[in-house]
Amino acid sequence: MLVLDIKHLNKHYEHFSLKDVSFQLEKGYIMGFIGINGAGKTTTIKSILNLISMDGGEIHVLGKNITQHEVELKQEIGYAFGDINFYSRSKIKTLTNVVKSFYRNWDDETYRKYLKKFNLIEDKKIAELSTGMKVKYSLALALSHGAKLLILDEPTSGLDPAARDNLLSIFQELVQDGEISILFSTHVTSDLEKCADYITYIHDGQIVNSAEKEAFVDAFRLLNGTKEQLELVKDRLISYKTNSFGFTGLIHTKDFEPSPGIVSAIPNLEEIMIYYSRKEEAYV
Amino acid sequence: MYNLLLKELKLGVNPFFYILPLLTGALMLIPGWLYFLVILYFCFITVPNLFGGYKSQNDLMFTGMLPVAKKDIVKAKVALIVLLELLHIVIAVIYGLISVRLYPNLTYYFFAPSIGFWGLCLVMLAIFNLLFIAMYYKTAYKYGAASIVSITAATLFAGGAEWLGIQSPLVHDLFKGSGADSITTQLSILFACIAIFAIFTFLAYHIGYKRFLKVEI
Repeated sequence: MLVLDIKHLNKHYEHFSLKDVSFQLEKGYIMGFIGINGAGKTTTIKSILNLISMDGGEIHVLGKNITQHEVELKQEIGYAFGDINFYSRSKIKTLTNVVKSFYRNWDDETYRKYLKKFNLIEDKKIAELSTGMKVKYSLALALSHGAKLLILDEPTSGLDPAARDNLLSIFQELVQDGEISILFSTHVTSDLEKCADYITYIHDGQIVNSAEKEAFVDAFRLLNGTKEQLELVKDRLISYKTNSFGFTGLIHTKDFEPSPGIVSAIPNLEEIMIYYSRKEEAYV
Repeated sequence: MYNLLLKELKLGVNPFFYILPLLTGALMLIPGWLYFLVILYFCFITVPNLFGGYKSQNDLMFTGMLPVAKKDIVKAKVALIVLLELLHIVIAVIYGLISVRLYPNLTYYFFAPSIGFWGLCLVMLAIFNLLFIAMYYKTAYKYGAASIVSITAATLFAGGAEWLGIQSPLVHDLFKGSGADSITTQLSILFACIAIFAIFTFLAYHIGYKRFLKVEI
């Protein structure tokens, strides 16, 4: 079953556009949504939450159209924004008491369980929480109202390695039962290598690829060779860097024909992102 | 809608603004003062601070994420404004009753705290609401221009009303002459003003909602 189904999403701004964004998320999985800053991750997420109006396309959450069933679907969606604070001078207790009144499936017992698990103290103010704790608090709220889809926008940005690892383990635990699905935007690609099942890569408002993690990485090859060899493959490379020894470049696996001397390797997500973002610069 | 209003009362409004009417209301005890100012302090102080708070606490995003209809988001904010306005008026009326008993033989140059005068205050707030709410919901977070325009309009109304009360024999008679003693005249003025307040505020809500639908959160 599809938890999230985005079809041909278009949104135009003066200096930026989302162009024909489409991808799907299966129930019970974690999807990493990657792209450099300004690639359109947050705009896509805002469209999923119906916070901005779409110029074209359709978004279905749990099989229902978000623009038509917004209020009903928001009961099923949990969110955590890594970089936005709400009512940060209020105590956790105060904020929870307000938030819970909006959810028909709110479960106090679950809430207590997660407060304990995440070591959250109710008398603390939001401003007193560390970045990681804030994300955990958002998760505790989302899980207590029985959210089926968690939308996390940069939840791990600004976290130390230990807090990041801890949060990623929590994400994996959450999807274990197959009930909860997570869409997780980040530009820290190493997070996804640890926990994502699917990767969707957005670049300049367009989806480059959305696939299972292994298949996603397998669609690219990182080539190493001499400057002479560069001339042979230059036209087919997505982008490349040269140094005194030769070149390193990214290519679509389908465009790559093995030739003697050129070493090919499977790139990691970060390398794919770096070389993809060099694409425009290369032609300037 | 009810839980949204509770959210505003618990999270959005600093308790100071529930106490403020008691302080501004006490200004009714200044003999023969320009009593429109007592209510105008709500527009001068409470509204800009309240909406500044919403902006700094990212209320728009916070509320936008909740499972609530956009219509109810606007309705709750308008209801909150009306509730606070009524709080200011009711408390000012109580102080006003004390004031007229404290100074029974005072000659009022400006409007005395009569039933009709409270009606005029409602009209002043009606103008304020219409302009502020309609302008605010163009963005649902910028409150500066909306405050300036609505406060200016409300102040001009107050100034104009006081001027007419002094210059126009008809208005003078209604509020300070024989009309002041007629409870029927005073109540008629009040009810007419309540109707204006209700219509303007409903219109404000309606325009605000239409504009809010176009807001990109």
